[in-house]
Amino acid sequence: MELRVIEKEATMVSIEIAGEDHTFMNVLKGALLETEGVTAATYDMNPEQSGGQTDPVLTIKTDEHTDALDALEAGTERVIQKSDDFEAAFEAAA
Amino acid sequence: MQDYEVEFVERGDREARFLVRDITPAFANGIRRAMIADVPTFSVDELRVVENSSVMFDEQIGLRLGLVPLTTPVDEFEVGDTVTLSLDVQGPGREESTETVTAYSGDIVTSDPMVEPADENIPIIDLKPGQRLELEADAVLDRGREHAKHQGGVAVGYRHLQRVEVVGEKGEFEDDEPHILRGVIEEQEAAHASAGSGGEPRNGELVPTEAFDHDLTNRYPGKDLEVVDVPNAFVFHVETDGSLSVDELVTRAVDSLRGRAEELRDAVQL
Repeated sequence: MELRVIEKEATMVSIEIAGEDHTFMNVLKGALLETEGVTAATYDMNPEQSGGQTDPVLTIKTDEHTDALDALEAGTERVIQKSDDFEAAFEAAA
Repeated sequence: MQDYEVEFVERGDREARFLVRDITPAFANGIRRAMIADVPTFSVDELRVVENSSVMFDEQIGLRLGLVPLTTPVDEFEVGDTVTLSLDVQGPGREESTETVTAYSGDIVTSDPMVEPADENIPIIDLKPGQRLELEADAVLDRGREHAKHQGGVAVGYRHLQRVEVVGEKGEFEDDEPHILRGVIEEQEAAHASAGSGGEPRNGELVPTEAFDHDLTNRYPGKDLEVVDVPNAFVFHVETDGSLSVDELVTRAVDSLRGRAEELRDAVQL
């Protein structure tokens, strides 16, 4: 996972996450949209054949009280939390 | 934080159906995709052919061996690790009455008992008298993303849980057309199923549609029904090729998502 910051402002960040695909990006985007302070979160990814930007580019916008990179960190924490909770629930049922 | 609720509808070693409540579509799809493409399994990738006098090219044999599922123990190996297997099968002798000898996956000899064919009865090739197949094969641990032979989950998907509500009686002269539904339904207490379709429904009981031949009119004769998708409740159907159990596949798929989130978090913190 290699990161490349494309644009960075206080309440906005656009970051390329090399080597990831829809599997993780969509989960992350979904978690970010549930995170407090995030006003917009999306990612863009192009197919291999497009010949252009094929690594996903994640864009986050936040309200004025939240730093965009902090929000990203909170989003990843949320994915980790979700994973832990899911695994606990699954193992309890298994 | 999240309050997931998991309930098994069907449970086997290689095939299971389970309901997850309060899961977002994004997370459900992430788990499904991870089960298919991101959980690594062993599969034959390279051959060293000693003798192949069968009717097939080495490459064709290689493809067939690649498709044999191999058991993959948890946390013992890393992606890229290899295990050597071998196969030595000979056609029948000229005096024997049998015409062919079939080489099966069960004939594969492994150098590591943790990695062995998940099934013993997969035919690889028929050998006629005088033909022989002898080879060494390297199985490599890799992901379904690289090649479909490394997929642990072969039939993985989910459907919405569907709630069936009885809203009234059907009109006396209404057509009795079948009401086909597939998946798992959740019943309501007020609903009244017919006597022959497997007992009185209880509130929130989960019934796979196979129980009434996928036709709601068998279970609710003469009733006017409403079927709605239950929000954020998904019934996963998971079938593995035998290289892993269903439980291992699911937990490892979630682990892979968590691993990537941790990696990203650590990268952002720096």
